[in-house]
Amino acid sequence: MEGVLFPHGVPEGREGLEEYRARDGYQALAQAVKAPGQAVIKVISDAGLRGRGGAGFPTGKKWQFTREAPDQPRYLVLNGGEDEPGSKKDRVLLENLPHLVIEGTILGAYAIGAAKAYLYINARYDMALKTINEALAEAKSAGYWGSNVCGSDFTLDIEVVPAPHNYVAGEDTAVLEVIEGKKPLPRQKPPFPVTVGLFGKPTAVNNVETLANVAPIVLKGSDWYRKFGTAESPGTMIFSLNDDVNRPGVYELPFGTPLRYLIEECGGGIKGGKKIKAIMPAAPSSAFLPVDKIDTPLDHNSMREAGAALGCGVVKLVSEDSCIVEELVKIADFFAAESCGQCPACRMETNTLAMMIKKVQAGQGGQPIIEQFGKILAFNKGKGFCNLIAMPGPPIESAIKLFPADFQAHLNAGKCPAA
Amino acid sequence: MSRVCLVCQNIDCKSRGSEQLMAELQKRVAAKGLSDVEVKPYMCFGACQDGPNIVLYPEKNWYAKVKVEDLDEITEHLAGGPHVKRLDTIDSSLKELIYQLLDTGVM
Repeated sequence: MEGVLFPHGVPEGREGLEEYRARDGYQALAQAVKAPGQAVIKVISDAGLRGRGGAGFPTGKKWQFTREAPDQPRYLVLNGGEDEPGSKKDRVLLENLPHLVIEGTILGAYAIGAAKAYLYINARYDMALKTINEALAEAKSAGYWGSNVCGSDFTLDIEVVPAPHNYVAGEDTAVLEVIEGKKPLPRQKPPFPVTVGLFGKPTAVNNVETLANVAPIVLKGSDWYRKFGTAESPGTMIFSLNDDVNRPGVYELPFGTPLRYLIEECGGGIKGGKKIKAIMPAAPSSAFLPVDKIDTPLDHNSMREAGAALGCGVVKLVSEDSCIVEELVKIADFFAAESCGQCPACRMETNTLAMMIKKVQAGQGGQPIIEQFGKILAFNKGKGFCNLIAMPGPPIESAIKLFPADFQAHLNAGKCPAA
Repeated sequence: MSRVCLVCQNIDCKSRGSEQLMAELQKRVAAKGLSDVEVKPYMCFGACQDGPNIVLYPEKNWYAKVKVEDLDEITEHLAGGPHVKRLDTIDSSLKELIYQLLDTGVM
């Protein structure tokens, strides 16, 4: 299947500057700087590119807001924090296709009128940091960033910032805090970064995969891009599969591809010849889907209608011999551990939910504790600076609804039905 | 040990002195010889703006905006004295949420 990012499959090793240029690399940039930055925003808006970090916000709109913000200077930030458990798409792009990522970043900066871009990359990604730095040096020597980009009067500085590897450090405002030399703590929104961002100035924070889509769109046009995917989710998306399938890896698929194709054709099905009990299409913060939703198309609308989300494309499977309560213990512990602690409601909610699910696991609390989950979630709804407080809800509430027998087995027998 | 006195230790209550309150209350309860009362930390009661918060369980009394000066009266209450009405200011729906949670054994 032809792709936007991996037209010849997932590449092995780093693509060098000459290889990238041999497939029209930096041609989009060379063309773009001959026209105003708004032209880049227009083609990205027409293409319908949506952010790949999880929220799916229209990239053209984000850039338009940033460009229109009255304050100066403006900044572009590439968010390669990638702290979601099981996600590896950004790492693959940074390590193997650094020039594609860099060209997209430069185009984004040009589009919004930024004179400086920051590449925020997970500090654990030694190889990605190395390949990006090498590619940056090559691109600078070739005149793609620095003074007078491609002979134009556009000047851009780029700086790499290693990202701490806790979960909230990938939240866009926490990213800004880190670049400013502070702790990775999310800011209260509004104001949004597009108006008050890095050092208080208008800033577009874009995911690595989002920016990797930009050069192909600028070069080949929005009509070409819209040949992939669906009307509301154009293009492709990279999905990460992990050890629960026979062939873990990253797979680029057009939006709208059935979930079954990803799991069976790409991933080779669930490991050990077992049956699938549930699917989590945006682990760990999406709702569980029952196995009869395996034909749901992988696009934003279809997933929302099915009761789940696409997130950043980490698809997790729960096998028939696994217990949902045990899965929830891991998820609730993750959010309790990753709550940064600055918002009391988030600390309260994530820790209380983790305590509650462990009570269930131990067979304590009876039916009243099951009813309490929704009340604790409702009490904390809308509180907190960032979205972490909203993340434990979908997995917990869907699990209670879809797999009551697992909860009952724990409450009745005090042990796991899967054990 | 049949009764607990839960002192909120979330960041908001802590910033209003709940660590010191808990230590002081432990001292007073011990001095009074209330061996059936355990004073212990609790994650959060969700009433940050009214902290520090202390909940007595299973009798279900909630004292808000507690200061060190209030602890003698609270200790008296634990010893069988009167309920400290002026500190009982929390909304009944929040009380119900938290009491139901405590009833399920989450503490």
